[in-house]
Amino acid sequence: MAKFEWEDVCIDVDEDGFMEEPDQWNERVAVGLATTEGVDDLTEEHWKLVHYLRDYYAKYGIAPMIRKLCKETGFPLKKVYELFPSGPAKGACKVAGLAKPTGCV
Amino acid sequence: MSNENIKPKDISRKDLDQLFTIDPSKLPQLPYPYDDWEEPPMEELSETKKEKYDTSLDGAVNLAFPKVETKEQEDELVAKFLVGLRKLFSKDNNWTFLKPLILTMDNCVKCNTCAEACPVFESSGKAEIYRPLFRSDILRRIVRKHLTPGGKLAAKFTGSDIDVNYQTLSRLAQLAYRCTLCRRCAQTCPMGCDNGLLTREIRKLFSQELGIHPKELHGDGTIKQLKTGSSTGLSPIALMDLMEFAEEDLTDRTGLEMKIPFDKSGADILLIHNAGEFLSWPENLEAFTIIFEAAGLSWTLSSEMVGYDSVNYGLFYDDAQYARVTLKHAEVARKLGVKKVVIGECGHAHKALMAIGDRIWLQESNIPRESCMTTLRDIVMNEKIMLDPSRNDFPVTMHDPCNLTRSMGIIEPQREIIRKICPQFREMTPHGCENYCCGGGSGFAIMQSHNFPRWKMSISGRKKFEQIINAYTREERAKEVKKYVCAPCSNCKGQIRDIINHYDAWEKMTLQYGGLVELIVNAMTDVREGFIEWDDFH
Repeated sequence: MAKFEWEDVCIDVDEDGFMEEPDQWNERVAVGLATTEGVDDLTEEHWKLVHYLRDYYAKYGIAPMIRKLCKETGFPLKKVYELFPSGPAKGACKVAGLAKPTGCV
Repeated sequence: MSNENIKPKDISRKDLDQLFTIDPSKLPQLPYPYDDWEEPPMEELSETKKEKYDTSLDGAVNLAFPKVETKEQEDELVAKFLVGLRKLFSKDNNWTFLKPLILTMDNCVKCNTCAEACPVFESSGKAEIYRPLFRSDILRRIVRKHLTPGGKLAAKFTGSDIDVNYQTLSRLAQLAYRCTLCRRCAQTCPMGCDNGLLTREIRKLFSQELGIHPKELHGDGTIKQLKTGSSTGLSPIALMDLMEFAEEDLTDRTGLEMKIPFDKSGADILLIHNAGEFLSWPENLEAFTIIFEAAGLSWTLSSEMVGYDSVNYGLFYDDAQYARVTLKHAEVARKLGVKKVVIGECGHAHKALMAIGDRIWLQESNIPRESCMTTLRDIVMNEKIMLDPSRNDFPVTMHDPCNLTRSMGIIEPQREIIRKICPQFREMTPHGCENYCCGGGSGFAIMQSHNFPRWKMSISGRKKFEQIINAYTREERAKEVKKYVCAPCSNCKGQIRDIINHYDAWEKMTLQYGGLVELIVNAMTDVREGFIEWDDFH
């Protein structure tokens, strides 16, 4: 198992940098993980997306359908890619501390 | 080592860090507007990963073959492999595929017709290690040496000896994951040999006997599917939440109010989708709903564990896992008491539930299974829904999923539909049974870890991208002309989406992708215009 260390953050991550224990997530972790995605500054819009993903994940144990995420946050997909260049699954989910999406998605 | 000099016996060499290195400048050139496209080099694996996983084949990693530290560990690996190999060739342990395996082992005359047919070999710039015969010849030599009387002695004299050591096993296992199991080679072989099947038998041996398999197929695949209900991790509760959203979304798009039926006992049809549609392509399952409801079918989806996800990755690597999943599918259909199961737009699910499923869905589970292509063909050709083809008046081509076409011969139904509803439909060359794989076959589309994504874009997906571009005239390739590639399979859709991203084809060519049902609904006069969206790529 790999470790991700950044300033005072030290967490277990999988081989693609996704959190092994999503329960250990906090905003400080998100700031750290965002640096691996080339996002050095988490704006209000980033946080809106991240918190939406967290809340959905807490309730259903999975990331939401991408279209649902876009509709409910009001961000078109293009905007999501602007916020997290590697996209909703690889970028936003990682920063929000979700497990890596699996299956034919 | 230079490509031309690599021979099968080099597979066991311990003195080479890497048997072969892909040279991007040797890859075949793509057509206009990609004639000046420079393929980026393969990504190097990080040092930490290199310490953990073997990269001695070609530097790419999707199987993540673990390294061994001691001679004892290596010996144990070899011993387990040889036990597995014997099982592969015994009737009791391999009743499923023994006959075609033996036929393939015995009948090959090394004419290399298969190499000409293989998109991975061609698109790699004819890399020797990806030649179909390279892989099968290694297995043949090992079998001859270890499974025939006097084989060891004979191997020494004939000079065909291959030492079965760690390198041999690791590279052979990884080679089995450099083939998409598209079986174009099998179709063209004059002797009836099936290198695709042989490749899958190698995968099976490593999975069933050594517990070595890609995590996307096993831990995050079949295991997760049986545990949570879906390889995506989608639980029945989450599914119902998403379907509530899909119903609202359907209304927003079309102005129609429709319920997506679930768990309707005694319905005529159980429709089973790849769960990828629920998370990534809801327009597909919404389109199915619109068509089936408009045609007045008696149908249902299932919200029971596994019953809402048609995938069965066992098909790609493991007979036991395959059987566990398909038995669960059969149980869901039996309990619902449906007259038949209709399989949605997912190629490998067709093969898993129908062609291979025929050997497992027996007695009380012998419920008829049908491709959605024939169901949809009946609806469209018998004019059960009203269609206006002028709504689809843009260039459309169609990708043939290998499992649907080459494996099962389902070719004409989808064509009858698309010819009727798309005035600018044109075929790729070649197509139907002779199609090229999207490059994401056998699970590659879902393998997004390590440095493998680059490999499947540059190598295995290259031929398909070339075919897609060539389906449009030079003028049509312009950014101003919106065009559609229809890929009626979730796995192929995921791969084509990634190809479009890799080659920036949305920005450069306005190339959109999607399934077949979306095109049907886009032409339905009872539905508001514009079901297919062109304002964004997803």
